[in-house]
Amino acid sequence: MIFDMLRNFFGHKIAPDIDPEQEEFGKLGLELQKNIDAVFGRSLAIRELDSGSDNAAEIELNSLGTPYYDVERFGISFVASPRHADIIMITGAVTHNMALAVKKTFEAMPQPGFVIAVGDDACNGGIYKDSYAVLGGADKILPVDIKIPGNPPTPLEIMKGLLALMNAIKQQRH
Amino acid sequence: MNTLGIILKQTLEARNIKCLLRENNAGEDYVCIEMDSFAETLQLINSQQLLRLIAMWAAEDFEDHSGFTLFYVFENYNVPELLALEVRLKDKRATSIALDFPIACYFEREIKDGFGIEFEGAFDTRRLFLHEAYPDSFHPLLKSFKNQALDLNHDEPKGSEYIFKEVAGEGIYQIPVGPVHAGIIEPGHFRFGVMGETIFNLEIRHFYKHRGLEKLAEYKKPADCIAIAESISGDESAANAAAFAMSIEKINNCTVPERAWQLRTVMLEMERIYSHLGDMAGMQVDVAYPVGASLLLTLREEIMRYNALMSGSRFLKGIIKPGGLLHDIDTEKLLDFKKYLSAFKDRFEAALKTACNSSWVIDRFDTTGVVKKELVSPLNLSGPIARSSGAAIDTRRNHPYGIYDKVKLNLPSRNEGDVLARFMVKADEIENSVDIINHVIDNLREGPVLSECSNLDGYSLTAVEAPRGQNLHWVYVKNGVIDRYKVRTASFCNWWAIEHAVLGNIVPDFPVINKSMNLSYAGNDL
Repeated sequence: MIFDMLRNFFGHKIAPDIDPEQEEFGKLGLELQKNIDAVFGRSLAIRELDSGSDNAAEIELNSLGTPYYDVERFGISFVASPRHADIIMITGAVTHNMALAVKKTFEAMPQPGFVIAVGDDACNGGIYKDSYAVLGGADKILPVDIKIPGNPPTPLEIMKGLLALMNAIKQQRH
Repeated sequence: MNTLGIILKQTLEARNIKCLLRENNAGEDYVCIEMDSFAETLQLINSQQLLRLIAMWAAEDFEDHSGFTLFYVFENYNVPELLALEVRLKDKRATSIALDFPIACYFEREIKDGFGIEFEGAFDTRRLFLHEAYPDSFHPLLKSFKNQALDLNHDEPKGSEYIFKEVAGEGIYQIPVGPVHAGIIEPGHFRFGVMGETIFNLEIRHFYKHRGLEKLAEYKKPADCIAIAESISGDESAANAAAFAMSIEKINNCTVPERAWQLRTVMLEMERIYSHLGDMAGMQVDVAYPVGASLLLTLREEIMRYNALMSGSRFLKGIIKPGGLLHDIDTEKLLDFKKYLSAFKDRFEAALKTACNSSWVIDRFDTTGVVKKELVSPLNLSGPIARSSGAAIDTRRNHPYGIYDKVKLNLPSRNEGDVLARFMVKADEIENSVDIINHVIDNLREGPVLSECSNLDGYSLTAVEAPRGQNLHWVYVKNGVIDRYKVRTASFCNWWAIEHAVLGNIVPDFPVINKSMNLSYAGNDL
C-alpha cells in the first residue's frame, strides 16, 4: 500500500497504448486542424446542447474527449457556456419542454456562430417526428448549418461532419 | 399461480371485500378490486411491511372496463412474481396513497398529467412531465387525443406556472442550475437552497426531454416498437429492448432459443460494464483526477468497439427483437472477446488500484452524499444505489429472467451509502459481469437465435435489471396493435434519492454525488 502510494507520487505515469486502428481518425483530425486554423484561427469552441436526445449522442460527444480520440490535440474544445462558443452541436429532437431553453442558448452564442445537428433526431425528428411532445428536428427552431445523421453518429462521423462544416464556411467566403 | 395474489385474495375475502383474481395469458396474476374497497385494501397491503410499491400507471378502456383502470404493482424480494392490483375507476377520481407510499407522489402526478385523473388527498398536485407550454387541460394519453404535432407558444405559455418550494431566512440563498448545464450533459433543473456552502434543500425539476414515448407506441405493431424501447435511454438500449421483447414474447407464449438468451445475456452484461466504466471515470473527473479516469475511459471505448463488432452498434441497438435476435453473433468473435476480457480484468484492477491509492480521490468519495437505507423502500430505490445502501436486491436474483437463474450472481452490497460505496459496488459489478460473460461463452449452445413470435392480443409486465437498476415494461396489445405501453425506469424513482443525498454536503460535491448515481434524464423524462 505504502509502496503503491510512493510509486504514485514519484513513478512515471504511463499513458495507455493507443492502437494503430486509430490511423484514419488521426489523419482526419490533422486535416480538420488545418481547416480550423484556416477558418477560425487555431481553435474551435463547441457548446453541446441537448434538446431531447436519448443520451447516446452525448456519450459519443464525450468520447471525443477520451484518450482514444482526444480531439483537444486538434484544437477542438467543448466549452461550458454558449457565450464562449463558435458552434452549437444540438442533439435530439427539440421537445416543447426544451424549446425556450434552446432558443435562449442560441441567442447567447456570439455571432457569427454555427449550428450542427448531431444524430437522426436532431436532423429531422427521427422516430419522434409525429409526437405531440416535439417540434421536430433542430431546424424547426434554429438555423442549422450542417446535419450529421446517425443513431447516434460515431466519433469518426462527427469529425467528418465538422470537416464538412469547415469546407462549407470556406466556400461561403470565396 | 402467484402466491402473493392468492394471499391477498384470501385476506380480502376474509374481510368480505369483493375482489377478482385473474390470470392473464402470460401467467401473471392481477387482483382486481373496485374503487369503494380501495382504501381498506391499501391499508391491508401497507400493514404487510414486506411489500413495496414499485410502479403505478393508468390505462383507458382496459379489457371489458370502459373508463379508467389504475394499476399498482408491489414487490416482495423473496417472491419471484410481482403483485399487480387493478383498480377500476367509475369516474376521473381516485384516492392518493402518497402519504403511505411516498414514491406514489410522482406516479400520481404522472397519471394526472397523462389522463387528467385527480387524486384526492394528494399533497403535491403540481404538473410533472407537462411544462408550462402545454395548456392545463391537455392530457396526451387520453384515447380522445390523437397523437399529432402541437403548435404551442413557448414565449407566452398557456399552462399554469410551476411553483418551487420557498426557502428563506438570514444568509440563505438559492442557486438555480439548468436546464442547460456546463458540460456535455442532459438537461434538467436543480434548485439548491444553500446556507454558506452547505446544501440544506434541493428540488429537482425534470422532464425537459419529454418526447412522448408512451403515446408514440400507441396503435403501432409491437414489432415496430423496438426502436422506441431502445431510445428510452441510449446507454440502456439492450436492457430496455430485452424487457420490451420479453413482454411481447410472454403475450405470445413464444420461447426464445437458448443461444439467443445466452447472447442477450452477454450483451446485457457488456452494457453494464461500459455504463459502470463511464460512471467510475466520471466520478474521478468530478474530483479532478483525470489520470484515473483515462484508464477507465480507455477500457470503456474498447468495450464499445466490441459492442459494434458484435451487434453492429456501439450502443447495442437494433439486434434484440421479440423472439430472439435479428442476427447471430459468430462464436469466433465471442471467443476473441473472451480473450480480450482476461487482459481487461488485469487492466481494470490496475485502474481501480490507481483510484483507491489516491488519497484525495478517496477523501472526496468517503462519507459524501450518503443515501440512507431507510430511503430504499419508500422511494423504491434499486440498482447500485440500493446495493450501496445495505439493500442486497437485484432483479436478476429476485425475479430471474432469461438464463439468469443459471449464472452465478455475486451480489455486491455495502452499507455506507456514500459515493465511495457506490464506486466500489460498481467496480464489483463489473468484475461479476466479466465472470458471467465468461461463463456464458464457455457454455455456448449452437442453434438458431430467433423463433417465430406471433402477434396475439394480451398484456404483460416485465422487470429487468438495467445498469441503473430495475426497469419495468408493461405492454397491452389490443386488436393487434399496442394500446398502452408503460415504462418505469430505475431512474424515475432513483432521481429523488439525490434530493436527500446532497443534504449537509457542500455545493462543489454535487457533481460527484450526481455522477455516482448516474441517473438517466432521457430514461426519466420518456
